[in-house]
Amino acid sequence: MTANAARRRELVQVLLLTAGFLVLVAISAASILFVDRARDDSALVVHTVEVENQIAAVLLELRRAESAGRGYLLTSEPRFLAQHDTALANILSNVRRLRDLTLDNPVQTSNSDALQAAVETRLTEFRETIAFAKRKDQQGGIAQLRATTAEDTVQRITEISNAMRREEDRLFAARTVSADRSQQWASTVTIAGSGLVVALAALSIFLVRRSSRARDDAEAQLRDSNLNLENTVTERTADLREANEEVQRFAYIVSHDLRSPLVNIMGFTSELEELRGDIFKRIASLSHPDMPGPLSDVDATEPVLTEQDAKLSEDFNEALGFIKSSIGKMDRLISAILHLTREGRREFQPVPVDLRELIEGIAGTVAHQASEADAQIRITPLPVIVSDRLALEQIFSNLIDNALKYLRTGVAGDIAISGRTKLGFAIIEVSDNGRGIDAKDHQRIFDLFRRAGPQDRPGQGIGLAHVRALVRRLGGTLSVSSELDAGSTFTVTLPVKWALGRQGKTT
Amino acid sequence: MSKPVTIIMIEDDEGHARLIERNIRRSGVNNDIKPFTNGTDAIRYLFGTDGSGLAHKDEALLILLDLNLPDMSGIDILRRVKENVHLKATPVVVLTTTDDAQEIKRCYELGCNVYITKPVNYESFANAIRQLGLFFSVIQVPQAEI
Repeated sequence: MTANAARRRELVQVLLLTAGFLVLVAISAASILFVDRARDDSALVVHTVEVENQIAAVLLELRRAESAGRGYLLTSEPRFLAQHDTALANILSNVRRLRDLTLDNPVQTSNSDALQAAVETRLTEFRETIAFAKRKDQQGGIAQLRATTAEDTVQRITEISNAMRREEDRLFAARTVSADRSQQWASTVTIAGSGLVVALAALSIFLVRRSSRARDDAEAQLRDSNLNLENTVTERTADLREANEEVQRFAYIVSHDLRSPLVNIMGFTSELEELRGDIFKRIASLSHPDMPGPLSDVDATEPVLTEQDAKLSEDFNEALGFIKSSIGKMDRLISAILHLTREGRREFQPVPVDLRELIEGIAGTVAHQASEADAQIRITPLPVIVSDRLALEQIFSNLIDNALKYLRTGVAGDIAISGRTKLGFAIIEVSDNGRGIDAKDHQRIFDLFRRAGPQDRPGQGIGLAHVRALVRRLGGTLSVSSELDAGSTFTVTLPVKWALGRQGKTT
Repeated sequence: MSKPVTIIMIEDDEGHARLIERNIRRSGVNNDIKPFTNGTDAIRYLFGTDGSGLAHKDEALLILLDLNLPDMSGIDILRRVKENVHLKATPVVVLTTTDDAQEIKRCYELGCNVYITKPVNYESFANAIRQLGLFFSVIQVPQAEI
C-alpha cells in the first residue's frame, strides 16, 4: 500500500515537472511568435511611412521639375534646364520605387499605376514646355502653360497622392492597432505562463515537503522497528540460551540419575555371579556325594558337573555376560553424554592462536601412531586466529586422529592440513588418502553415537559430534567431502576473530 | 575406654546401601552400621530433636554420605555437620556417583575428609568399598566433643 502511494507521489511529481516544462516551452514559443509578429507589424508600419515618404518625394520632385522648367522658360538659362532634367530623372525612379513598394497592396498598386499615368502625362507636358523654351518661343510656352490640361493633370496627381496617403494612413492605423494587440498578447501570455509556472512550483514544493515528511515518518518508524527487532533478537537469544542450558542440565541430571541404578544392576549382577559359583558348587557336591573333602575345599577347583548341569551353568554364564557387556556399553554412553555436557558448560576464552603451531603440536603427540600406520602429516602455513585454544586442540586432534585411524591398509598414509582466510573466516582443510566415507553416510557421521563403514576400529561415535558442536560454538561450520576408497577432506570454517558472548553457550 | 565407631550410612538407594554394607563386611569391619535413606531422618538422628548434636556426646561416629538425596542435597548435611561444634571432628566420607570436579572441590572446601566416586564397574566398586573398610578398621575417630 505504502509502495503504491510512494509510486503515485513520484508520478505526480514527474507530471508536475513535465507540466511546468511544457508551460515554459509554450511561453517561449508564444513569445517568439509574438515578438516575430510585432517585428512584422513594425516593419509594416515602417513600410507605410516609407510609402508616404516616397509619395512626398514624387510630389516634391514634380514641383522642382515644374519650377525649374518655368525658370528655364523665363530665363533660358541652362542652369534651370539641368535642374529640370535631374528632377525628371528623379521623378521616374521615385515613381518606379513607389510602385515597387506598393506591390503588396492591390488598391495602392492601382493607385500608383494611376499616379504613374498622371505623372507621365505631366512629364509629357513638361517636355512640351521645354520644347517651346528651346525653340525660344516664350509666348507659346506660356500659352501652353495656361492651357487647362496642365491644371487637370496637377489636380489629378494631387488627388491620387491624397488617396494613396489616406490609404496608407488607414493601413498605418490598422497596423499600429495590430502591433499593440500583439504586444498585449505577448505580455498576457508571459504573465499567465509565469503565474502557472509559479503555481506549479508551489504545488511541487508542497508535494515534495509532504513526501519528505512522509519519508521522515517512515524512517522514524523503521528505526523503531529496527530497535524492536534487535530487542526481539536479544530476547530470543536469551530464551534459546536458557533453553539450551536447561537441556544441558537435564542431560547432566538424567545421566547422573541413570548411573545410580546402573551401579545396582552391575553390583547385583556380580553378586549373582558369585551366587552362581556357590550354587553350582553345591550342585556338584550334591551330585557327587562320594567326593572327598568338605565343601570349602571345592573352592580351589572347578566343580565337577554332570553334562546337564554344565549346560545350565553355561547358559547362566551367557546371560550374565550379555547383561554385563550391555551395562558396560550403557555406562560408556552415559559417560560420553556427561563428557559432552561438561564440555558444553565450559566457558570459552578467545585468545590469539597460531594454528600452525597448534597443529604441529598435535602432530607431535600422534607421531608414534603415524609412524606405526606408515603415514606422514604435512602442514602448510596456517593463519593465526582468535579463538578458544582448548576447543581448537580438541577439534583438530579429533580430525587428525580420525584421519590416522581410518587409513587404508597397505597404502602409505598421507594427511595434509592446509588453510586460508577469506572474508573474515579461516578455512582449514584436513585431508587424507584413507578409506573415505560413502556419500550416504556424510550426514550420519556427525550424529552422536553413529559411525560408518566397517566397524574394525574402537570408538564410541562421539568424536565428530563433539567436533561439530565445538565448531558451532566457535561460530563456524564443519563439512566433509569424501568418496569411498578415495580419502576424505574435512573443512573447518572458523571466524578469524571470535568474540565471547556472540555465540554464548551452545552445544 | 572409647566406644566402637558407629558408621552412619546416608544413602537413598537401598541397593547401593546393601552393596556398600556387604563389601564393608567382607573387608572384615564389624562395626555398627546405621542406614538412613533420606536426609531428614539422618539429620534428626545426628543432631537430635533439639538440633544441638549433644545427643552423640561420648560417641565415635563416621559418616558415609551420598550427595543425591531425595529431600535435600548431601552437601547441606556436610555443611551442617562441619558447622556443628559437637560433630565437626567427625570424619565424613562422601560416596556418590557425581565425578564433577566442581562438586568435589566444594565438598573438600566444606570439610569433607574423603571423596569417593562410585564406579559402575562392580569390581572397582567392590574394591573401593573394601579398601574403605580397611581404612575404617585402622583410622582413629575422635569422640564427639562436649
